[in-house]
Amino acid sequence: MLIVRRRVGQAIVIGDQVEVHVLEIQPGRVKLGVVAPKEIPVIRAEVKLTRQQNLEAAGGATPEKAAELAERLRSRAAGAESGSGPQQESPERPRNDEVSRSA
Amino acid sequence: MRFETRHFGIVEYERDSVFEFPAGLPGFEDQREFVALQQSHIRPIVFLQSLRRPDLCFITLPVQAIEPGYRLSLSAEDLRLLELPEDRQPEIGKQVLCLAIVAVAEGQPPTANLLAPVVVNLANRRAVQAIMSDSGYSHRHPLPVPPREENVCSSCAEGSARPL
Repeated sequence: MLIVRRRVGQAIVIGDQVEVHVLEIQPGRVKLGVVAPKEIPVIRAEVKLTRQQNLEAAGGATPEKAAELAERLRSRAAGAESGSGPQQESPERPRNDEVSRSA
Repeated sequence: MRFETRHFGIVEYERDSVFEFPAGLPGFEDQREFVALQQSHIRPIVFLQSLRRPDLCFITLPVQAIEPGYRLSLSAEDLRLLELPEDRQPEIGKQVLCLAIVAVAEGQPPTANLLAPVVVNLANRRAVQAIMSDSGYSHRHPLPVPPREENVCSSCAEGSARPL
């Protein structure tokens, strides 16, 4: 993984054509500007995750699978209410404002 | 009116039971029209069936059935797409229907996408899959969780696969 520290006004360059500029930093969030050719789509990572999840979900969505799921939900409901408390991270948690890349 | 589906055969529907996704869904940007189908024996599961592609169907659950305290944090852009006021979040079950898409992969526990719920404006049936980046919810929230018996909306149909 590549980790780069940058300040506001600085940028990194990916390949010959993609520039990522740091425009603004606030506690917990960073505003980036991306310069890239039209043919390179720039999307938020969550959109990509949701796209992958949708493709996977559409592939397995049969009435049989739904019936299995309903059965799981019912058997779980019959058991004790388990503490499936909030496992999500706090919205206030600082997001990673450094550029990272898988090796 | 009628349309063909791969899993439910020919389904009767009313024009005003169609959910219109002006932007499609991520991965299915060209699919703009879906009908929500319910089967009474597998409540509270809702199928989101494409009107144009008989083989395209999602298994969904009302978010309240997964996470009773679920909170929406729709972006101004998504609120505009839904034609809802931009200064406040809509109320789940009253103004909007809110469904989480479930992925059921072979050999893995099912998960629900709570990060990006399908939100439908009940007043005009406009819908988006809203990616709520700052919500902290997971796109792979593990299931099962204890469901609550709850009507998704007042027009839920009984019997075999019927539109909401």
